[in-house]
Amino acid sequence: MSMEDTVKLISAEGFEFVIDRKAAMVSNTIRNMLTSPGGFSEAQHGEVRFPEISTPILEKICQYFYWSLQFASGKESEFHIDPEMTLELMMAANYLHT
Amino acid sequence: MAMYIRVKRNKITYFIQCEPTETILNIKEKLFALVDHPVNDYRLTLVTTNEILNDSKTLADQKVENDAVVALSLRKDDNDFEDVNIARPDDFTSFS
Repeated sequence: MSMEDTVKLISAEGFEFVIDRKAAMVSNTIRNMLTSPGGFSEAQHGEVRFPEISTPILEKICQYFYWSLQFASGKESEFHIDPEMTLELMMAANYLHT
Repeated sequence: MAMYIRVKRNKITYFIQCEPTETILNIKEKLFALVDHPVNDYRLTLVTTNEILNDSKTLADQKVENDAVVALSLRKDDNDFEDVNIARPDDFTSFS
């Protein structure tokens, strides 16, 4: 694992989550930001800011990315979501195409 | 990928992919690519039990499971380790 293999996602409150590029690619929106040629400055710095997404929601999304990779590799487990965060999480998931 | 852990310090969280058979030293070596400090200066604490993790033991030995939260503390100039510090977003919302 090296700097180039990771991306940094930054929440509304400025909290940073460093995750594997592969995990971030679970989101089509982030995949487009990181892979579209030339365009996004995110692609060069490997940093994506989400001023609309709060810290607990962004962390949950990162956990989901990893859960999704584990699930794809055949490890079946439940993904627990607190009822209070369901709505905010769905809005973020919709935005991220996740 | 068998598991991952969340290594936290202040406002940063590192998601680290790992295997239960890896030692804490292996984890520190992975962190080294991301944290701008030598491996010797890291201390990892399992947050749920407040236990300081031993370099030579494995994750499984020390009951560090998938999705576990581990605190990273760095060695200060006086050779002691800083206190465990994980910022919470509630501490900041009052300012926004």
